[in-house]
Amino acid sequence: MKEITLEMAEKALEAAERWARDIAGLPCSTAIVDKAGALIAVHRMDGAAMATTEIAIEKAWSAVVFKIPTLMMSRWLDPRSVGEQLGDHALGMVGRGKNRLCFIPGGIPITGDDGEIIGGIGNSGVPSGVGDISDTSVSQAGISALYD
Amino acid sequence: MTVTLNMARKILGAGKKEARRRGILCSIAIVDENGWLVALHRMDGASIPTADIARDKAWTAAVFRMPSSAISRLGNPQSPGSGFNTQNWNDRLTTIAGGLPIEDDTKVIGGIGVCGETPEQDVNICQAAIKTLPTRNS
Repeated sequence: MKEITLEMAEKALEAAERWARDIAGLPCSTAIVDKAGALIAVHRMDGAAMATTEIAIEKAWSAVVFKIPTLMMSRWLDPRSVGEQLGDHALGMVGRGKNRLCFIPGGIPITGDDGEIIGGIGNSGVPSGVGDISDTSVSQAGISALYD
Repeated sequence: MTVTLNMARKILGAGKKEARRRGILCSIAIVDENGWLVALHRMDGASIPTADIARDKAWTAAVFRMPSSAISRLGNPQSPGSGFNTQNWNDRLTTIAGGLPIEDDTKVIGGIGVCGETPEQDVNICQAAIKTLPTRNS
C-alpha cells in the first residue's frame, strides 16, 4: 500500500460498519483521511448521533497529524497522569489545531508498505465500556480490511 | 423518512459513475433532511476543498428545500428576502450551483452536493445521481 484510494476507503468503512453492527451492536460514524489529513470518505450509519460524523473526521485527522493513535493522545490529558508524558505542554495542546484536534480514543494512523503513514481512520459512536467494544476497535476492524 | 446510508451509497455510486463517464474528478456529499452529513466521498485526485464545498452545497439544498443555486435569487434587492443570502448560518450557506434537495413522493428527505469542475456539470451529476432513487427526483 502506497496511498489510500477511495475504493480502499470504502472497503475499510464497510468492514468497520459490519463490526459496529454485528459485534458492538451500535451505530456509529467512520471517516478515512489521506496522508495530509484531508477527508477521503465518511459514512454515518442509520441511527448514529449527528455529532459523530464530525468527531470521526476529527479523530482521523488528529491521528494523522500527530502520527499516533488518539488513544495515546488521550493519555496526555488523563487527569490521573497529566503532565507525565508532555510536562507543561500537555494542557497547552487543548484548543490547538484548527478546531480539528481531538483527544478522544478512536483515531488510528494507517501505515503503508514502507512504514510511512499514508492516512488515518477515525470512529465515533461506540463508547468504550465492555471488553473490546470501543471506537478504537471499530477503527481497527476497518484497518484490518486494508491488509487482507 | 430520511436518507439512509444504503440510499446514500446508491446515490454516491451513481454519481461517481456519471462523473467518471464525463471525466470529472469530484466530491459528492449526502446529508439528511436536517442538513447533517450521512456520507461523503472524495474521488481519487479530486482537490481537497471540493469535499467541504460539496458538503456546503448539500447542506444548503437540504435545509432550504431548494437547489443551492436558487439561494442567489434571494439576494435580489427587489425580492422580499433580500439579504437572506448574506447570512451565513452554520458557515455552510452557499449560492453556488451543484446542490439539490432529495425528495421522496411528498417531501424533502435530504440533500446532495457535488463539487468538481463547473457548477453546470456539478448539477448534471447531482441529477444523474438522485435519478437512481425510486421517487419523483429527476
